[in-house]
Amino acid sequence: MIFPMRTRQLADATGTGTTGPEDVIEVGGLRQKYGDFEAVRGISFTVPRGEVFALLGTNGAGKTTTMEVLEGYAPATDGTVRVLGLDPIRQHRELRPRVGIMLQEGGFLGDLTVAETVDLWKGLSRDAGRPVTMSGSTELPGGFTLLGSRIRRVDRVTMGALELVGLEKKARVRVKQLSGGQKRRLDLALAVLAAPEVLFLDEPTTGMDPEARRTTWKVVEDLRDAGTTVLLTTHYLEEAERLADRLAIMHEGRIHTHGAVEEVVATSGDMIAFRLPGTSWTFGDLPVLDGVAPALTYASGGTEVGYTLSGSDAGTRAHAALRPLLAWADTRGETLERLAVRRGTLEDVFMRVVGEA
Amino acid sequence: MTKTDVLHAVRLARLDLTLVGRNTTVLFNVMLMPLLLAALYSSFPTGDVAGVEGKVFVLTGVPGLMLAFAVFINLVNAFTSRREELVLKRLRGGQPSAVAVMAGSGLGALAVFLFQALLIGIWVNRFEDVLPVNVPLMVLAAVLGVAVFGLLAAAFSGMTPNAEMAQITVLPVLLVMMVAAPVAFPADALPGPLAVVSNLLPVTPIVEMMRTGFLGADHFGDGGEKLTMAGQWTAALPSIGILLVWVVIGALLARWLFRWEPRHG
Ligand SMILES: Nc1ncnc2c1ncn2[C@@H]1O[C@H](COP(=O)(O)OP(=O)(O)OP(=O)(O)O)[C@@H](O)[C@H]1O
Ligand SMILES: [Mg+2]
Repeated sequence: MIFPMRTRQLADATGTGTTGPEDVIEVGGLRQKYGDFEAVRGISFTVPRGEVFALLGTNGAGKTTTMEVLEGYAPATDGTVRVLGLDPIRQHRELRPRVGIMLQEGGFLGDLTVAETVDLWKGLSRDAGRPVTMSGSTELPGGFTLLGSRIRRVDRVTMGALELVGLEKKARVRVKQLSGGQKRRLDLALAVLAAPEVLFLDEPTTGMDPEARRTTWKVVEDLRDAGTTVLLTTHYLEEAERLADRLAIMHEGRIHTHGAVEEVVATSGDMIAFRLPGTSWTFGDLPVLDGVAPALTYASGGTEVGYTLSGSDAGTRAHAALRPLLAWADTRGETLERLAVRRGTLEDVFMRVVGEA
Repeated sequence: MTKTDVLHAVRLARLDLTLVGRNTTVLFNVMLMPLLLAALYSSFPTGDVAGVEGKVFVLTGVPGLMLAFAVFINLVNAFTSRREELVLKRLRGGQPSAVAVMAGSGLGALAVFLFQALLIGIWVNRFEDVLPVNVPLMVLAAVLGVAVFGLLAAAFSGMTPNAEMAQITVLPVLLVMMVAAPVAFPADALPGPLAVVSNLLPVTPIVEMMRTGFLGADHFGDGGEKLTMAGQWTAALPSIGILLVWVVIGALLARWLFRWEPRHG
């Protein structure tokens, strides 16, 4: 699939009148309780049409809980949520056909084959009333079902969905015989089957091999380019960096940082890192650089030292900080092993956010 | 129910039937057990009951008891395991409505049950040379029976933590049905209070409607007098009333107890 236009251009060209509200997902002051335990503690964010938004965060941060409120599984304890301008609970019927969902796990009938699962889902989707007209049949060998031993044919739509996720060779296999990653692929095929306007992906690539992960990214990117709005959670930060336009980092029910991916990464600033021999180094031994104290970690007979210089002028600050550092090393007669200045990463931001919280 | 609901329900029913064929345990429980039960009950040596040969009396009523397996146990198992495997959750997040999901399972169970009732009918006809008199009355009994026991199954699955426990949670219902259903004897043959209780349970009206419909005679008491077609329907009215009350009770219980997602913690 090649889609010529990025969505925002599309929206600009057609105006928002026909394409619906510009913010496809709106979350305002959302709180969600399980009994006495508050899993989500007042979060707000919006996702404009055609954007990919990544929810990152620690285990138990409340990502799945947030997703499930948006998917209409549970009413919000407090706050407002809207998807395509609709209430996920009260307007569930209207919303359902326009939304694709990939749950964090499970939800398959193990005794069905892969192709049957897709067929079933297709039969339960929006176009269910129409006969599947685009379905010339592809004959596949060896497909006998127990009831009636008739050869089942896999139609083109189903085959197309399976090819999309690289499961075409498994069409006849029972779902219970699939590996964990293959089940995730099948899940993705089901989520995108009805060409949804909004896609909720809860840890879509967990358990996938690197190739399947890349396939998934491609699928998401193609859909995004066609105008689909995507909310995804992931523990793979490179996935968020690659796919997301914007992201939020959650911890214990709150959003601690959010914004465009580059902006968020930029908050981590620059990092000066080196290694000193021996493990007897303490904070007091090392200089404070540009008002920043070092972080020390001890590993295999050495001490790893890191200074994080944040702010938009981090680059120049790092430059200026190197001079006193080298002077300190000269006076002490120490060699700064593997001295490096590097850009902070999303992982640095993540660790800082979670550490500070 | 909208047209889409009906369409979804039919697709889900077809799915259920496919799955019955895929799993030998289910196949045994749902298809074979009820027939074994019928064979067992009909092998008890009894003389004539209410003016009918014992074997015919048993076989014309036993479908009411078969509901316990074809519908009740089948659906408690299906609902429970699908909830634990998050299949119900996925369905609820998808497009079929709650009504369509329920109706689909009910329809599948109805098909299984009607097939079994048909086998029994053929059996009675082959060996005892009796033809059913009032098939619509029998079908109505089947539909109401499936509705009641389908809804009760939804409610009971809500109280069943996992598929293994389902073997235990269905037992009370199963035992009550075995003891109280007037399969081998008329309900009025039970001692006083038990007879009253038996008449209020859902299984008894189903058994009696089935038998009356098959034999064209009044089997709502212990009489067995021949009835006209109109007479059969009139005599069935109280039973239909009791079943409708049970449908309401079942629906309320299901609404209260049924769960789409596994309980946490
Ligand atoms: N049904 C439930 N009942 C009670 N507590 C729950 C329930 N579901 C989730 N929780 C709790 O709510 C919190 C948030 O859970 P949630 O599944 O949203 O986390 P998450 O961010 O998706 O985590 P992960 O990255 O591990 O998937 C956790 O502390 C969890 O224990
Ligand atoms: Mg989660």
